[in-house]
Amino acid sequence: MTVLMRAQGAAVLLSALLALSACGGGGSSTPGGQSGDAPKRFSVALTEPDHLTPGNTSSSYSIAVLGALFDTLVVIGPDGKPQMRAAESITSDDQKVWTIKIRPGQKFHNGEAVTAESFADAWNAAAYGPNAWTNNYYFANVEGYDKLNPEAPEGSEEAPKPETDKLSGLNVVDPTTLEVTLTAPFSQFPIMLAYTGFAPMPKAALQDPAGYDTAPIGNGPFMLDGRWERNKLIKTKRFDGYAGPRPAKSAGVNFKIYANRETAYTDLRAGNVDLLQTIPPASTSEAKTLLGDRFVSIPGGTMDYLGFPAYDKRFAGADLRKAISMAIDRQAIVDAVFNGAFKPMSSLVAPLVPGYRATACGESCTYDPAKAKALYDEAGGFTGTLNLYFSNADPSYEQWMTAVANQLKQNLGIADIKFRKIPSADYLATLRAHKQDGPFRNNWVMDYPSPQNYLESMWGAENRMGWKSPEFLDLIKRANSAPTMEASIPLYQKAEDLALAEMPMAPLWNWQDQAGHSEKITNVRIDAYSPNLDTITVK
Amino acid sequence: MLDLGTAAQAPAPAARGSLWWDAWYELRRRVVFWLSAAILLIAVAMALFPGPFAALGGPQRGCDLRMSKRPPQEGALFGYDLQGCDYWSQIVHGARASILIGLAVTIFALLIAIVLGLLGGYFGGWADALISRITDVFFGIPFVLGATVILVAFPGHGVWAMTLVLVVLGWTTMTRLMRAQVIAVRGMDFVAAARMLGASHLRIMVKHILPNAIAPVFVLAMLNVGNVIAGEATLDYLGVGLQYPEVSWGLQLNAARSFFTEHPHLLIFPSLFLTATVLGFLMLGDVARDALDPRLH
Repeated sequence: MTVLMRAQGAAVLLSALLALSACGGGGSSTPGGQSGDAPKRFSVALTEPDHLTPGNTSSSYSIAVLGALFDTLVVIGPDGKPQMRAAESITSDDQKVWTIKIRPGQKFHNGEAVTAESFADAWNAAAYGPNAWTNNYYFANVEGYDKLNPEAPEGSEEAPKPETDKLSGLNVVDPTTLEVTLTAPFSQFPIMLAYTGFAPMPKAALQDPAGYDTAPIGNGPFMLDGRWERNKLIKTKRFDGYAGPRPAKSAGVNFKIYANRETAYTDLRAGNVDLLQTIPPASTSEAKTLLGDRFVSIPGGTMDYLGFPAYDKRFAGADLRKAISMAIDRQAIVDAVFNGAFKPMSSLVAPLVPGYRATACGESCTYDPAKAKALYDEAGGFTGTLNLYFSNADPSYEQWMTAVANQLKQNLGIADIKFRKIPSADYLATLRAHKQDGPFRNNWVMDYPSPQNYLESMWGAENRMGWKSPEFLDLIKRANSAPTMEASIPLYQKAEDLALAEMPMAPLWNWQDQAGHSEKITNVRIDAYSPNLDTITVK
Repeated sequence: MLDLGTAAQAPAPAARGSLWWDAWYELRRRVVFWLSAAILLIAVAMALFPGPFAALGGPQRGCDLRMSKRPPQEGALFGYDLQGCDYWSQIVHGARASILIGLAVTIFALLIAIVLGLLGGYFGGWADALISRITDVFFGIPFVLGATVILVAFPGHGVWAMTLVLVVLGWTTMTRLMRAQVIAVRGMDFVAAARMLGASHLRIMVKHILPNAIAPVFVLAMLNVGNVIAGEATLDYLGVGLQYPEVSWGLQLNAARSFFTEHPHLLIFPSLFLTATVLGFLMLGDVARDALDPRLH
C-alpha cells in the first residue's frame, strides 16, 4: 500500500505545482476559466474483451470495462477489506443463509430501478446451464444449482434441459432484500460478491442477451455511449442519474482497443492514450524514466505458476516436481526478464490475500542447485524430451521459459528440452484437455482476495494438473464452512501446505502491475482491486 | 555480348583468357574484393568452427542468469545477454544458422533457376508460358507476409524448414533473369552451329547455353545470399523464424528489442555482425558483377 500512497502523494504534488504555475502566470493564462469548463473525456488502453455481459466473462479486459459500468454489491477497498457499495448490508447467522439488503434509490442506465430482483435475475441467468456462461461455476454453492445444471445421462453427450430456470436458493423477500441460501456454510461469500460476475442486470438484458452483450446496461457511474465497436473502441459517458457513492468526475471514458500491450505502451508514450494499466514488464525501467511521476506501480493479485502434468507417469512423483521447483532461480529470472518488477513467490497465494505466509513453501521453492540435483537423482531423474508449454500471448513468456530451460539443463542435467508455443486462443483449451506432456505456464488473476479463490480454483476438482487429493478437497470444504473468515484461514493454510508438499504446481512470482498515464489526467488512484476510473479528472 | 559469346567458344572454365579467368584477374586488383573476402572468411570460419572462436563451450551452456544484461567488462568482451550467457560466445554461435541458411537457400534457388530458366528459355512455347506464369504467381507473394503465414501455419520449424520457406519465396527473380539470358543466347550462331552438327537438346543447353548465360545469374545469387540472411533475421526478429534452442542473430535482436534503451550492447553487437556479413556478401556480389561484365573491361 505504500506504493499507492506514493502515487497519491505524487498527484497532490502535481496539482500543487500546477496551482503554483497558474499563480506565476500573472493573469495571462486563464486556468480558473478552464477548470470551470465542463468535464472532458479521457481514454484508457484495453485489449479486446471476450464479452461484456457480467455473468459471461472472467477476462480481465472485460472486467476493466465492467468495473466502470457496474456497481457490485461489495467492493474491496484499497486496504483489502470488503466495503458495501450497491448493498447496504450483508449478514448471516450461520454462514449458509445470507441476507443482502440493497441500498434503495439506485437506477440502471435505462432508468429501471435496481432491486433485489435485478440481482436474482442476473444470477439465475448465469447459473442456468444451457446458457453456458463463463461464470456459471461461481454459483455452484448456491442451493438449486444442480437443478439448473443437470448432468448428461450415462452414454450421452447432451445434458437434458433443466426443469427450472431459477435457483431455489435465491429468495426475493422485498425489492430491497435478497435472501441467498448456500448448499454449505461459506464464510468467504461477502468477498466473493465483489467479483463482477455478481453484478445486477436489468430486465432488458434478459429480453435481448445478444444485443446486451455489445451494449450492456449497468448501474455504475459510466454508461455505454453507442455500441462496442469490436477491436476498436468502447465509448462510455458519465451517467447523470447515478446515485451511488462514486459519481464520475469526467465526461466519459473511451476504451481504445489494442492488439497487445506493446502497441498500447507505444501509444501512451506518444500521448495517444491517457491511461495504460499494463505496461510491459520489460519496459518498466524505461517507463519509470520517461513518465516520472506518471508511472504507478501497484501490488497485484496475479500469480504465475509452473504446473506439472501429474497424470503423466514421468511427473507422477512429488520429489521430481520439487526438484524442478528447487532448480529454478526465481529471483534471477525476475531481475533479468522483468527488471525486478515482480516478486518471487514461496507461497501459492499473493501477498495481498489474507492468510498469506511469505515462506509457506520453504525449501521446495528456494533455489538450491545442489539439493535439487540430489533430489532429482533420488527421484530417478527424467527420460525423454522435456516439453515446456506456454502461449504466444507475450514475448516475456518465452524469455522466462528460456531461463527455466537453461537452469534445468545446467542444474539437473536434462539435456533435451523443447518449447511448445501454443497460440494464445488455444492455450487454455489445451491445458483443460490435458494435452500437455510437460511443465506448463499457469497463471491466476485474482477475482477476490481470499485464499479460497486461488486454492479451490487452481488445485480443486478438475484442475489442469490432473492432481487428485481428497484430503485437500476436504480441507477446502471445512475452511469454506468455517464460522468466520478468521477461523477459515488456518484451514486454508493447511490445504496450501498440502498442495505445496505434493507440489503439483510450483509458485513462481507475483505480478506487480505497472500503470502509466498521460499529463492530461489527474487524480489517478489505481489500487490492486480497482482502477477507480471514476476519480480521474481531465485537464 | 559478342565478346561474351566468343570467349566461351573454348569452354575450359579456368583457362587463361576465359571469362572466369578474366574476372579473377580483375577481381584480385580490387580492394573491396579482398575486404569482403576477409569478412566472409571470418564469418564462414565462425560458422564452421565456433569452438575456437567462442571463449566458452557450446550454445546455451555456461550461462549465469544473475549476470543478465551486464555490459562489456573484463572476461566478457561483449558483456552478457538476457539469459546471462557470454554474449561473444552466443554471437559466434549465431553465425552458423545465418550463413548456413543464406548459402543453402541461394544454392537451392540457383539450381531451380537454372533448371527452370533453361527449360523455359530454350524450348519456349507452352513450357515457357507455364513456367513464367508459375514464376509470376510466386513473385507476387509479398516476402514477409508470405513467410509469416507459412511459418505460423506450420510451427516447430528448424533450419531446414526455414530454408524451404525462403527458397519457395526467393527463387523467382533468378529464374526470370536466367530465362532472359537463355533467350538471348539461344539465337546465337554457335548454338545454331551446334544444333546443325546434331547435338542433343541437353548437350546444347548444358555445354553451350549454360556457360554463356550463367554469369549475371551468378552475380545475382551472390547478392542474394546477403538478402536471404537479412530476411531470415527479419523472420526471427518477428518471432516466426527459428526457435530455442537454435541460436541466431535474428533471435538475439528479438530478445534485445525490449531492453535496448537501457542495455544498448544487446542490440549493437548482433547488429554489427549481421550487417558486416550481409555487407560482405553484397560487396562481393558487386565486385563480381563488375568483373564479369565484359562491357566494363
